[in-house]
Amino acid sequence: MKRMIRSWRIGAVGLLALVTLAACVVGGYEGDGGGGYEGDGGVGYVGGVYEPGGYVYGGWPGGYRVGPPRGDVRGPGGRAAPSIPHGARGGGGHRDGGKGH
Amino acid sequence: MNHSKHSAGNLLGQGLCAALLYAAAITAVHAALGAAVVLPPLTQPASGEHHVGKVVWADLVTPDLDGAKRFYGALFGWTFRGMPGDSNYALALLDGEPVAGLFQKTLPAGQSQQPAWLTFLAVRDVDAAQQGALQHGGKVLFKAHYYPHRGRQAVLADPDGAVFAVLAAEGGDPPDYLAVPGEWIWSSLLVADPKHETDFYKSLFGYDVYDLASEGGSEADAQHYILSSDNYARAGLNGLPADSLRRHPHWLNFVRVADAADTAKKAVALGGRVLVEPRIDRHGGRLAVLADPGGAPFGVMEWSDADTKQEPQ
Repeated sequence: MKRMIRSWRIGAVGLLALVTLAACVVGGYEGDGGGGYEGDGGVGYVGGVYEPGGYVYGGWPGGYRVGPPRGDVRGPGGRAAPSIPHGARGGGGHRDGGKGH
Repeated sequence: MNHSKHSAGNLLGQGLCAALLYAAAITAVHAALGAAVVLPPLTQPASGEHHVGKVVWADLVTPDLDGAKRFYGALFGWTFRGMPGDSNYALALLDGEPVAGLFQKTLPAGQSQQPAWLTFLAVRDVDAAQQGALQHGGKVLFKAHYYPHRGRQAVLADPDGAVFAVLAAEGGDPPDYLAVPGEWIWSSLLVADPKHETDFYKSLFGYDVYDLASEGGSEADAQHYILSSDNYARAGLNGLPADSLRRHPHWLNFVRVADAADTAKKAVALGGRVLVEPRIDRHGGRLAVLADPGGAPFGVMEWSDADTKQEPQ
């Protein structure tokens, strides 16, 4: 009987340890770095931000232009205006570019 | 006999205790699994490429996820997939490829706020970008957060108050290619102080800045800068229109469409609004600015083969 009790105890402790370990591993997914003003605890998706209301987003005046240069555009000094990417998907691209963070 | 009864009682008690502990722990694991939202990687297979400063993703924040799915699905042919771990987040796909995220969030009562698209710019180090933003007059709205497979991201505001996100994608950034209709093709930042803002974004992303006005542009090009990296234009930076309207600095993303006027009509029929009527923009390109039924602004832009810069052979 004593042996049976001991094995139950060992089994229960072992099971508890395994489940606790699993809970810690799963919880670790969301714990890295913490959340932000609204995200501490990391439950679900974090990062949705509404813009302040009461502002006008349209009604642009005539001649107001926001688009990218099109075609081969050059300034007086011959400096080419950068264009948007132009190759087809799967055609390869530059690697490891950029100079920022 | 007494000893035997005592042992049986102990055994029963320990067994019950173990079962209760097991049930509680399993419940905790399931709750944690349910809470861990798993976003797909930006590129599959991993690209291994890095394009700092490139607009690599956009998330819509809306109070009506189902309404947004209906609208964008009908307008651009996007399909949607729910994400394990958060029933408020849906992935938008174009021809099976992830194109955007839709996130449902309750509009806070008693506050004047409006739905918007959140623009994600690629970085290699989110924490450094966060620090850099603070050092140069920006704010951190959501601190760095890691999502398995997707990577690490944070939500920031620039010194003018325009909100954007930075993302260090785990498998690398999407390669550079010309967007097809239904994909994001261009992003504009509209701010009150463009010169100051170019310095901020340059410090964070190392952009080269092309000043259209000083490079032979017209008067209309005043305060219009092109931010580029890897020799590609990544975004435009404009001064907000100088009029009496109450305007707020913001990022505005454009989806490529075949016909901006047709798309605008369709958007209205689907419950959206036209904020800027279809118009000719730079070098004959046509665009419009629309709002979805929830009020989130976005742009649509045409692009033809003739608009594409030919590389010297």
